[in-house]
Amino acid sequence: MGKKNLKEIENILAQEIAIILSVDPSRVIKDIPLHEMGIDSLSFVELLVFIEKTFNIKLMESGLTREDFRTIRSLASSIRVQSE
Amino acid sequence: MSKINFSRKKRYLSGIDWIIHALDYITKKAIGTGNTSQIVLELEGSLQEDKFRTCLDSLIKKYPVLYGRPSRNYNLAPYWKIFSKRQSRLLPVKVYHLEYINHTNIFKLLEQKANLKFINEQEHLFFHLIHAENKTYVAMTFDHRLFDALGAEAFLEMLQNEWKNKDNSFCDKNIIVPAESAHLCNWRRKFIAGQQANRAFLKMSKNAPPRVLPLPASLNNLGFRFKVIPFDKYQTDLILENAYKDAGYLMLMPYVLASAIWVIHRLFSKRNIKSGDYVVPVSIDMRPTDKVQQEVFFNHVSFLFFIIRSDEAEHFPFLIKSIKQQLYDQVKSGLPSNFQEASLLMRILPLPILSNIMRLYLKGQIASFSFSNVGEGAYRSSNFMGKKILNIFHMPRVPVPPGLGIFFHQFQNKLNVVLSFLEGILSDKEANELIHTLQSRLGEK
Repeated sequence: MGKKNLKEIENILAQEIAIILSVDPSRVIKDIPLHEMGIDSLSFVELLVFIEKTFNIKLMESGLTREDFRTIRSLASSIRVQSE
Repeated sequence: MSKINFSRKKRYLSGIDWIIHALDYITKKAIGTGNTSQIVLELEGSLQEDKFRTCLDSLIKKYPVLYGRPSRNYNLAPYWKIFSKRQSRLLPVKVYHLEYINHTNIFKLLEQKANLKFINEQEHLFFHLIHAENKTYVAMTFDHRLFDALGAEAFLEMLQNEWKNKDNSFCDKNIIVPAESAHLCNWRRKFIAGQQANRAFLKMSKNAPPRVLPLPASLNNLGFRFKVIPFDKYQTDLILENAYKDAGYLMLMPYVLASAIWVIHRLFSKRNIKSGDYVVPVSIDMRPTDKVQQEVFFNHVSFLFFIIRSDEAEHFPFLIKSIKQQLYDQVKSGLPSNFQEASLLMRILPLPILSNIMRLYLKGQIASFSFSNVGEGAYRSSNFMGKKILNIFHMPRVPVPPGLGIFFHQFQNKLNVVLSFLEGILSDKEANELIHTLQSRLGEK
C-alpha cells in the first residue's frame, strides 16, 4: 500500500471500525474515544490486526498510550508517524 | 451440494449449536442435569405478577420454538423440531414472598432454582419471582441449547417490549432460516477451516491432560454453587484503570482473564496439583452488535483457547503478555471463525461420539476452567416492566468436566464477577478465598 495522507488513513480506519462494529460508516465519529464507540478488547484486537495487515505496523506491543488511541484522528496520526 | 429446504417446523442447528448439545450431553451423563444457566434481574420495588404472567404468556405463544426438541434429518443434519402453536403451553412461573431481605437466604433460593432440572425434553425455560421487602428478583433458568447468554438477555428485552406493547416481530424470521453455512455444503472450505482448528487443538494437547481440579467420586445429582460479586461504578472504574496500567488500552478482557488464571493457579498450588498446563476456552459472541435482537434463539458464539504454562501462571506481567499475544495470534489467524466453520462438520456425528472426540485431544478433559468474555450485555433498558433494574447477573452451570468457571459481565458500566463450581470440587472456604483473592488481584480491594 502506497504512502497515505492523514485524511486517507482516518477514512480507512473509520471504515474498518464501522465493519467491526457493524454500524453505518456515517455513524463513526472520528473525534470520540474508541471505547466510547463500543469497542471492547476483542474488537480492538481485530482493529490492531487490520492495522498490521494494512499498514504493516504492529501496535500491540508498540508502547502506545491511551492518548495515541484517544480518537481515530490521533490513531491515524500515530500510524502515519510510525510508518514514516 | 445438499441443499436444505426451509420448513416452519425445523430449525437446522449450526455446528456451534451441536457442540453445545454435546456439552449438554456430557454434563447430563456426568451429573444428571444438562448445560443450563440462570439469569437474574434484581429490581427495585414489587413486580406485578399478573402483568408479568400476561406478558410472558402472550410472548411465548408467538414462539413455539421454545417447546422444540432436537431431531435429525434424513440428510444427517440435526435440527430443532418446532411444534405447532396449538401445542404451546404456559411456562412455569413460581412466586416466593420472603418477609425481609436476607441476602444469604435469597441467594440460597436462587442457587437452588439454578440447579433445577427441566421436566422433559420440550421444556427449556422457567421463571421464579422472589419478592423480598422492596425488591423483586426475576430468575430465568434456561437451556443453553436454546439460548446463549446474550440471547437469554435479549429474550428478556423481548419480554420488556411485550410489556411496552412494542413489536417483537423483527426477531421471528431468523428462527427458521439457518445461517448460510449451516447447509451441508462447501465441504472444501469447511475442511480447510477444520485443518486450521485441528492445528490449534494439537498445540493445546501437547502437554495433555490439562491441570484440573479432581471431580468428586460420586457425581450423581450434584448441584452447582455460585459466588456473585457485584462491583459498583467506583470499583469498576478502579479495575478499568488497573487494566489500563497493567495490560494497556482496551485490554480489560486479557487483564481479567490473567487475574482469573492467577488466582486459580494459587488454588491449585495450595492443593499441590502440579501436573499439566492451564487450558482455558473463552466463549465470545459472534453476532454483529446490531444483530443480537434479531438472533435471539440458539447459539451464536465461538471460542478462543488459551494455554498457559504453569511456570507462567504465577508471574502476572508474563501472564498478561502471553494472553495478549495468544489473543492477537488467534484473531489474526481467524481461529474463532475457523472453529465455527469447522464445527459444522461435527454435526454428522451422534452426540455420544462427538462428546468422546471432544475429550480426545485433552485426554478425557475439556478445560481447566471456563471463562467468558467481558462485554456489555444485551439487555439495554434500565428498567423491567416499570421497575428499576439494580443489577443483572448470570448463574451459569459449567459443563462437567471441568465443573469450574469464572465469568465477568457488564451492566450499565458496572462489572459483576461470578464463580461457578460443582459441589464438592471446592470447599466453601476455598471458594470464598478464591473470590477475595480475585478482588485483590483486580486491584479493587
